[in-house]
Amino acid sequence: MVSIVGCGLTKLDRYYELSEKDLVSEAYKQLITKIKEYDQPDIVIVSSGYIDVLGKNILSSYKISSGLGLQNTKVMRIENGDNGGASIFTAYSFIKSGVAKKVLLIGIEKFSDYPSKYVNEYLSYNLDNDYTYHVGITPHAYSALLMKKYMKKYNVDYEYFTKWPIKMHQNASENPLAYLKFKVDKNTVVNSQIVSDPLRIFDVGARADGASVVLVTADEVAKRYFDSPVKIDGIVGNIGAMNLSDPSLPSVAKARNELGDLPKRDVVYEIHDSYSIMAALEIEELKLAERGKGLDVVDSLDINLSGGLKARGYIGGGTAIYQLGEVFLHLTNQFKGKSANAEKGIILSNDDLGNTSYLAVLSR
Amino acid sequence: MKISPSTSWRLKDTLYRLALGKCKKCGNIKFPYQKICEVCGSLDVEKIFSKGTGSLVDYTILYQARDGFEKQSPMIVGLVRLDEGVDIVAPITDAEPSKLKEGVRVEAVFRRMRNDSYNGLIQYGIKFRVVLDAGNN
Repeated sequence: MVSIVGCGLTKLDRYYELSEKDLVSEAYKQLITKIKEYDQPDIVIVSSGYIDVLGKNILSSYKISSGLGLQNTKVMRIENGDNGGASIFTAYSFIKSGVAKKVLLIGIEKFSDYPSKYVNEYLSYNLDNDYTYHVGITPHAYSALLMKKYMKKYNVDYEYFTKWPIKMHQNASENPLAYLKFKVDKNTVVNSQIVSDPLRIFDVGARADGASVVLVTADEVAKRYFDSPVKIDGIVGNIGAMNLSDPSLPSVAKARNELGDLPKRDVVYEIHDSYSIMAALEIEELKLAERGKGLDVVDSLDINLSGGLKARGYIGGGTAIYQLGEVFLHLTNQFKGKSANAEKGIILSNDDLGNTSYLAVLSR
Repeated sequence: MKISPSTSWRLKDTLYRLALGKCKKCGNIKFPYQKICEVCGSLDVEKIFSKGTGSLVDYTILYQARDGFEKQSPMIVGLVRLDEGVDIVAPITDAEPSKLKEGVRVEAVFRRMRNDSYNGLIQYGIKFRVVLDAGNN
C-alpha cells in the first residue's frame, strides 16, 4: 500500500562550505535524476533534531522546500530528537489514509558548524529539562552508566564492546558514502580517548553533516516513478524510559512485541547505534541475541552494513531517513557498499538513549 | 541569554530541594516531581521533598564538558539511589574518584552550576557529596 520509489543520499562528512539547504539540494538532485517522472510531492516532511538550535533555523521546512523549487505542497518539520522514525511513521500514515499520494521525506543535520562543547550543550536538550539539563550532564554520562551496569550484570569487560566499532568500521570501509572510511583494530579501540569512563570515543556515533531525501508514494502511482518499488509493510513505535538500574530499553521491546518474532536470515537491519552499549541492548531487545550477548552476533547478521552511526556517521534526526534510503538501495540492489541479498529490511529508529522507538519493515 | 530567571524560579523546588512526586494510588515515587503519575496515570500525586541522602549506585567521570561547564570538567556523574527509593543521575562534588565506591553514602549539597557571563545571572542547584562520617550512620 505504501512504497518507496527513490532516494538521494549525500556522503556524510564535514561540509564547512555547505548549508543545510545546500546539502538537501544535493540529495534532491540525485533523487529527481533517478526517478522516471518528476512532479511535486503532496507533502514534504523535514526530519531534523537540531536544525533550529544549530542552524538558527525556524520554519526550516518552508525554507528547505523553497530551496528545492517546490511551489505547491504542504510542509512540516518533525522534531523527535534523533528518532526520525516518527517522520517515516507520519509519511506512511498520510499515504495509507489517503491524505497524500506522494510524500517527500527529508533527513538533514549539520553538526560540524560548532565545536563539541556547544553540540554537547544542544544534545543535552534531550535530557529532562527540570533538573538533569541544568546541572551540566550530557547523554554520554548516561550511556557510560548504562555500560557499567551492563558490564556488571553480564560480567563482560570492555573488550566485549570493541566488537561493535571494529565491525562498523570494517563495513564503513566498503561504503563510499561513509564518513569514517577506515578499519580499526582492537588495540586502537581499547586505547582510544575516554569520553566518560568506560565509554571511549570509538563507542560513540560519529557526528557528521549530511542529508537524505526519500520519495514515498501510494502503491497505485509508484511505478510511474520506479519500476521496482520497495514496500513499507508496516511501522510500529512505542515509548518507555531507558532503564539504567537494570540495563534495558523498554521502548524497543514494546515496539518489537507489536511485530512478533523478527527474521535473522534474508533481512538487512539498520539500527540506531548511538553508542556501542545501545547497539548491544537494541540487538537483545529485538531478540536477535540472548541477553548479555548482543555483540556476539555481529558477524552472523546483516546489521548496519553501512557502518552505522559509529562509522558511516550520525546525522541526528536525519538518521532514520538516511537508513530508509540505504535499505531501499539494498532491496533494489543499488547499495554501493557491502551489500545484502535480502528480501526484507528492518530499521530501528530511536533517540540516542532509547526512550522512544520506531520499527519499520520494508520488503522487495 | 543562557539562564532564565523565571525558569530558575519555577524550578526552585526541583533544583534546590529535590521535590519528588509520590503517587497516592500506586505508590510510585518520581524525580523530578510531576503532577500525573508516570506509572498509573493517577492525578493524585503528592509533592514531597527528599531528605537529600542516599547511596551511590555507580559513577562515571565525564571528560567532555558542555558550554558553560568547562571549569567543572572532568565532572563526576553518579547514579544515586535516594533514601526515598528513587534513582537519579546527578553530579558528585568534593570527591576523589579513588575514594568513590558502590554503596557509599552521599548527601545533597547546594552548589553554583553555571553563570551567564553576559547578564551576570547565576544558576544554582543540587549536587551530591560523600558523607564523611558515613561509617557512624
